[in-house]
Amino acid sequence: MGEVILTMKDIDKSFPGVHALDNVSFELQRGEVHALMGENGAGKSTLMKVLTGIYKKDSGTITYDGKDVEFTNPREAQQAGIVIVHQELNMLSHLTVAQNIFIGCEYMKGTMIDDARMNAESTKLFERLNINIDPTETMSKLTVGKQQMCEIAKAISHEAQVIVFDEPSAALTESEVSELFEIIRDLKKKDIGIIYITHRMDEVKVITDRVSVMRDGAYVGTLISENSTKNDIINMMVGRVIYEEPKTASKVPKDAPVVLKVEHLNAGRLVKDVSFELHKGEILGFSGLMGAGRTETARAIFGADIKESGDIYIDGKKVEIHSPKDAVKCGIGYLSEDRKRFGIVVQRTVAENSTMAYLENFMRGIFINKKNERMEAEKYVGSLAIKTPSVNQLVVDLSGGNQQKVVLAKWLVRDCDILIFDEPTRGIDVGAKSDIYKLMNELVKEGKSIIMISSEMPEVLRMSDRIVVMCEGRKSGELRIEEATQEKIMHLATMEN
Amino acid sequence: MDHIKQNPLVKTLGFNRIVLCLVLLGMYGFFAIFADHFVSYNRLLSAMNYAYFLGFLALGVTFVIATGGIDFSIGPVMFCAAIMSGYLLTHYHWPLWVCLITSIMIGMLYGVLNGYLVAYKGVPSFITSMAIMQISKGIASIFTKAQSVSWPQLAQENGWYRNLVKMKFGTTYIPVGLIILLAIAIICSIVLNKTKMGRYFLSLGSNKEAVRLSGVDVKKWEMIAYIICGTLAGIAAIFFVAAYTTVQPGYGDQYNNEAIAGCVMGGTSMAGGLASIGGTFIGVMIISILQEGILAIGLNKNYQLVITGIIVITAVFLDVVSRRRKN
Repeated sequence: MGEVILTMKDIDKSFPGVHALDNVSFELQRGEVHALMGENGAGKSTLMKVLTGIYKKDSGTITYDGKDVEFTNPREAQQAGIVIVHQELNMLSHLTVAQNIFIGCEYMKGTMIDDARMNAESTKLFERLNINIDPTETMSKLTVGKQQMCEIAKAISHEAQVIVFDEPSAALTESEVSELFEIIRDLKKKDIGIIYITHRMDEVKVITDRVSVMRDGAYVGTLISENSTKNDIINMMVGRVIYEEPKTASKVPKDAPVVLKVEHLNAGRLVKDVSFELHKGEILGFSGLMGAGRTETARAIFGADIKESGDIYIDGKKVEIHSPKDAVKCGIGYLSEDRKRFGIVVQRTVAENSTMAYLENFMRGIFINKKNERMEAEKYVGSLAIKTPSVNQLVVDLSGGNQQKVVLAKWLVRDCDILIFDEPTRGIDVGAKSDIYKLMNELVKEGKSIIMISSEMPEVLRMSDRIVVMCEGRKSGELRIEEATQEKIMHLATMEN
Repeated sequence: MDHIKQNPLVKTLGFNRIVLCLVLLGMYGFFAIFADHFVSYNRLLSAMNYAYFLGFLALGVTFVIATGGIDFSIGPVMFCAAIMSGYLLTHYHWPLWVCLITSIMIGMLYGVLNGYLVAYKGVPSFITSMAIMQISKGIASIFTKAQSVSWPQLAQENGWYRNLVKMKFGTTYIPVGLIILLAIAIICSIVLNKTKMGRYFLSLGSNKEAVRLSGVDVKKWEMIAYIICGTLAGIAAIFFVAAYTTVQPGYGDQYNNEAIAGCVMGGTSMAGGLASIGGTFIGVMIISILQEGILAIGLNKNYQLVITGIIVITAVFLDVVSRRRKN
């Protein structure tokens, strides 16, 4: 460890409706691996995007290599020596390894691209990293791990002083991870500062020197990795205020009928032999790490993706669901984690969005009864406290939390008995969050049943009556709320096979 | 600028459409000044001949563009329908009314094929419609052994269909075609803005996946848009021959472009999700007056292509700029 190379001080950033970064400070030294941890939505990625100029900060200072800097785009940051190795790799899969590494700064011979020189330079880079990749290989033929190493090589080729790894191990096999760690240790020796974003507790001790924790857009604290325990970090990550009375015992009667039963569901790589039951009036939490297959399970049940095998029973009767249309007919509603892509139709109005799933109920002959539609929408704008000038407002003009409520309204208009909420509070502000929690509790009181997928542990613990934990596409356990703790869930979620 | 936009009249008609109407009037005024004898009823009737078939094509393709797709086959499909049904009329002596229905059916069939490939097989509409453009040209040529087909004149046997375009009433002609086009445009506008079908078209043009996940059968609705488009191309065929008599196989591409240009001028977004039937109607009128005016001042058709191109680029550019300013 050595001198400080990067200081971010009092960084503040707001998006409409969300205070994404609240006076966050962060410091990185040369030759240090500094873990950045926090739950989804804590603001880690936003902070890194501010650093590399993807977002413009509202206030605060960034000092890099002794100078105050403000990058306006990632390219500038890259030229200055700050590089992100993204979780989703930005590779052009049809080009060769060398062409990818030198994209945007190709070596030229006159007007022609000098492929030979780029191959030679790539080989040199790989030698420096002690990795064995053929620079002339097509990118798509490499494993994800090898592709990531190419990203690292690309970072080095820019003479990077600071490298940000955004969950690098998420997609890697175990042997690839240890290979990655070797490279990181090597980079450390070269006095490069490394910011390491991760969700994996066990990696912190193995590879990092210090760990900083963020929560709800704010900086919580920094620990020396060596002296910290897993519990210390978890406590810092989750010590949040939840705006709904905690649930200590399930209110669902033991003999509540089963409204949805899923048996041996298989769909793709991430849904393997999943079985569970949902009772009437219950909130069933789905917990697990990113990529555990929770969303995929929900989408397979809803008919959004093709399922390979498995049976679904609703109120004891077997049903065939091949499309979302079938699922909606069966009384299932699905609130997607990605509302922009899968939830709202931004160019249409609040009213039009809210009747999208049940338009047939608002017809007078062949015409849409716009008056009824508007009245119904107004009802939910009121009861869900959707902040909009009118129901004729385009949804694109609403804030994230209010958009989410519009999607909710869509399923409430349809009056679905079974609701699947996939990360219902992701990326929305605390006010809207507590509204949504209240609403969920009211819905189950009315006798509806909810599956809630959530990556926020406190949310799962406080809202659920029962918790299903998934790990690598399988259901790794099921906990009653009375027995569930963060540690037990984490244990099930990280079970190694 | 803003206070103009707040005017209730401007609000109901739409600012863009009013600008478009002014462009139309300005263009008419320009030709009235610079072309000899431009201001006459017969000139207008002649300009409208062009507007009828182009109008039906443009109305149809507005639906497809609303869903986020594109149809480059409508011109050749219109020609194919006109040629095949005309050949059945003149060579095989099928009854006229059967031939007219056949023309519409041919257009519809191409729409079904196009829509099926796009909606159910996931082939990009750009590709399918390009392919169908070629196929329809080829089929028309094969069917008539590459001969052109001339539909009967009004005075000839089976000539009454020409009254669909204009009917003589005493000493003057009544533009029946305009009445029919207007009626169909109004129906299209109602369909797009008041019915479930139109709502789904526009919604799936904006975010297809979100609509699908709302339990809507998006494939069915997407296919229907193409069928409507094809059917209207079949109707356009009738109005083309009623105005211009002769159709030659192997042509028609130019009319796709003009029809799409009409839509885009009228404010329909090529990205899908936004469409205006009224705008399309005015756009078609602009193109029709333009082509008549260009001929009237003695320039050849190629000038029309250039000017249409410039108008389209300007319209889209203004649209992009105004949207960017909003964001």
